[in-house]
Amino acid sequence: MTSAVTDTHDNHDDHGPAKGLTRWLYTTNHKDIGTMYLIFSLIMFFVGGSMALVIRSELFSPGLQFVHPEFFNQMTTMHALVMVFGAVMPAFVGLANWMIPMMIGAPDMALPRMNNWSFWILPVAFGILISTLFMPGGAPASGWTMYPPLVLQTGDAFPFLIFSVHLMGLSSIMGAINIIVTILNMRAPDMWLLKMPMFVWTWLITAYLLIAVMPVLAGAVTMLLTDQFFGTSFFLAAGGGDPVMFQHIFWFFGHPEVYIMILPAFGVVSEIIPTFSRKPLFGHDSMVYAASAIAFLSFIVWAHHMFTVGMPLSGQLFFMFATMLIAVPTGVKIFNWVGTMWRGAMTFETPMLFSLAFVFLFTIGGFSGLMLAIAPADIQYHDTYFVVAHFHYVLVPGSIFALMAAAYYWLPKWTGHMYNEAAGKLHFWTSTIFVNLTFFPMHFLGLAGMPRRIPDYSTQFADFNWMASVGAIGFGLSQLIFVYVLLTAKKGAKATDRVWEMPRGLEWTVPSPAPYHTFDTPPKARVAQESFE
Amino acid sequence: MTPENSEQRRNIRRTALLMTAIAVAFYLGFILMGVLRA
Repeated sequence: MTSAVTDTHDNHDDHGPAKGLTRWLYTTNHKDIGTMYLIFSLIMFFVGGSMALVIRSELFSPGLQFVHPEFFNQMTTMHALVMVFGAVMPAFVGLANWMIPMMIGAPDMALPRMNNWSFWILPVAFGILISTLFMPGGAPASGWTMYPPLVLQTGDAFPFLIFSVHLMGLSSIMGAINIIVTILNMRAPDMWLLKMPMFVWTWLITAYLLIAVMPVLAGAVTMLLTDQFFGTSFFLAAGGGDPVMFQHIFWFFGHPEVYIMILPAFGVVSEIIPTFSRKPLFGHDSMVYAASAIAFLSFIVWAHHMFTVGMPLSGQLFFMFATMLIAVPTGVKIFNWVGTMWRGAMTFETPMLFSLAFVFLFTIGGFSGLMLAIAPADIQYHDTYFVVAHFHYVLVPGSIFALMAAAYYWLPKWTGHMYNEAAGKLHFWTSTIFVNLTFFPMHFLGLAGMPRRIPDYSTQFADFNWMASVGAIGFGLSQLIFVYVLLTAKKGAKATDRVWEMPRGLEWTVPSPAPYHTFDTPPKARVAQESFE
Repeated sequence: MTPENSEQRRNIRRTALLMTAIAVAFYLGFILMGVLRA
């Protein structure tokens, strides 16, 4: 009797989503939760972007223009926290929620109630974080790295910062557990691990990284909290503690975090380039091994962020060479994407344009990363705008362009309609021009010695700074085109089930828009795959 | 509930608990390292 009741309950064919607000509050449907993640991350993208525009407006010309230096520091800190934890990471989790069950032939995520929790923790976390802007002493201003002892000078916002970071970590860990459990236990019966799409593979590896490093960040900020309020001296030199230990712990989290933000982007691009090259992905298995190698290496390179603290020569050499080694698996990936395009029947729809720009511009970010890996050179580059240029090339035309590519690629599957291609291409070209205008001059500023995180600067840096500020304003305005595309997404022509000419994967076997419940019965993954060949 | 379903549920629970244990171990392990160094 019990089993009969359970079976009836598990069958959802007879109903669609609930009506009204409760649909979104209580939903356990992976598509609803994916949509909420994506909308939340877009809102956070604009919040973080507005903070970036405050920074760039202040830096438009030498001298103090609009904001107090203390508020400027709050903006650099909050911009980074919002963009990393509120925009990029949740956006990839949103894509994972939407696409992974459909790509592996599962009816939903393995732990749907936890999925609901892991999303709804996020708005609470960012509500708390953003509320610190209105507290006495203002928001945290010590940079997203939260180095002690500076971070311990934060005003009333300090415990709220620590609590919100804990909540963000909790949300990420719950999401990662769900993704691992889903991929390992709910694949279609004939979908072997090495047959999984690259997006699923990169997310599996990313989820393992999250499980390993988010608790480390939580541990570090817990120790900050006890140093501030409970009399411990983990990081306080006056009490016998070691502030540099915080840096080691933070970057043990922080460097894998970079790959948490870029590996799913690799997965997205590995889905899109084959579709628009009309060829299978070149070297699928080597891509899996390369992603795994990158993930492993990410755990043994953290101290390249802190060459200037003073460390033994042997330590500098180890971290320098280990960091350079990451270029090898990354090179494998770039080679395979180029190999996929080689002699392919390529077309250049918006998702492909963003993916091509990703490959080219991410490589520039990778090369400047190699320059920073060289310990003696890094001592010159450290804490300059060269570092700012490097990581923005990795994260903006890297992660964010991949997110844009993914949104355009899967939007017809989500909405059932083709988006406005002309607007999409305009969005691409304006974004690409302005992103380079914003971040490329920062290389020269850094090489000339302009420090990061300052509201004022010497007049010799004026020209490149106004260029970067004009680029930032242009890039920000360009994103309004994306909002227009989203708002008019349901006005385009009806999308077919396959949407594109030669996509591969189970998600293209379901109707467009994807029904509320898919794959209640596990599909034959290989049969579906062969029907596309 | 079919035997395949119950087997799958058992596997899901086992994987989720293992991942939770790993996360907790990293959290407490790094704090313990801080305690031992302080």
